[in-house]
Amino acid sequence: MKMKSVYKVPDGKLIKIFLEYNLPVKTIKSITIAGDFFAYPEESIQQLEQLLQGKPLDEKKLETMIKDFVKDNQVEFIGVSPASITDAIMRCK
Amino acid sequence: MMTEEWRLLQTGFLSAAENMAIDRAVLVAHSKGYVPPTVRLYGWNPAAISIGYFQQLTEEVDLTACDEEHIDYVRRITGGGAVFHEDEVTYSFVINEKHPQISKNILESYKTICLAIMNGLDFLGVKSTYAPINDILVNNKKISGNAQTRKQKTVLQHGTILTDVDVDKMFRLLKVPNEKIKGKMIANVKERVTSLTHELGSDFSFEDVSNALKKGFEETFDVTFTDGMLTDEEKKLATSFQKTTFGSKKWNHQR
Repeated sequence: MKMKSVYKVPDGKLIKIFLEYNLPVKTIKSITIAGDFFAYPEESIQQLEQLLQGKPLDEKKLETMIKDFVKDNQVEFIGVSPASITDAIMRCK
Repeated sequence: MMTEEWRLLQTGFLSAAENMAIDRAVLVAHSKGYVPPTVRLYGWNPAAISIGYFQQLTEEVDLTACDEEHIDYVRRITGGGAVFHEDEVTYSFVINEKHPQISKNILESYKTICLAIMNGLDFLGVKSTYAPINDILVNNKKISGNAQTRKQKTVLQHGTILTDVDVDKMFRLLKVPNEKIKGKMIANVKERVTSLTHELGSDFSFEDVSNALKKGFEETFDVTFTDGMLTDEEKKLATSFQKTTFGSKKWNHQR
């Protein structure tokens, strides 16, 4: 099932999530985190997208996972945050 | 202490893929220590849309309209939003991220480099303000957008200074999230964007703006510029990047 969300982060940038949901097993089949934000290093977003594959759409778990990813990989976001990316993912429909 | 000498490149008007390839080539050349810190001033021919690294091309750009109006499109290596490049002066600035005048803090360094642009605008008699994260405003309206990446321990920041703006044309080429409110969005952008022509009238040239920006960098960083050319190495790199990356469907359509 294909889902999408467009979410403007308050005082931040725009996030567009393109998500394919694996309904039978209730997990993310594939995800693209797009938008006009900044992330350093840029390649980290692709890594994050891969990390989220196969994970359930559970707000708390997703946010923890993204937070840990950012910390472990020393990622710097500008205009978005782990919370706002999670928020954007949860808004997909 | 002796004033540092940096390089000024004026490469004229080039295609979108060439422009993005040169910016990257200069980044690589500087990261290897082959060339000094470099400011490049340039324009776009044909006019072009550039999208941010994280944007989805077909989501942001009406490719059919671009073809009809002979508009190029390219994905940048920098984040940020889609930009319509037509009547503007574009700059790129490449410098080692360890340079004493470049903050380790990315937001701080945006501000410092934007200050150089603002000082440049001052020389044209245009007073501007910095609007974090990456915009410069005149009378509260956007005149300049900027985007930075850091790769190979090197900072690349590029950005635009609008000399004129055609919002209607821009919206023929860019897609909007909601077609129903497109009219309202266009009106809104017209309210929120300005250009040097709007602020100064048409009595200035591309060269006037280039010279002012050069002076802005000189004053902000206390350096002098030597007019330079792309080295053979940079030309080779740029040709390669144009072919393998910025001119390729794989790169531009990658998301």
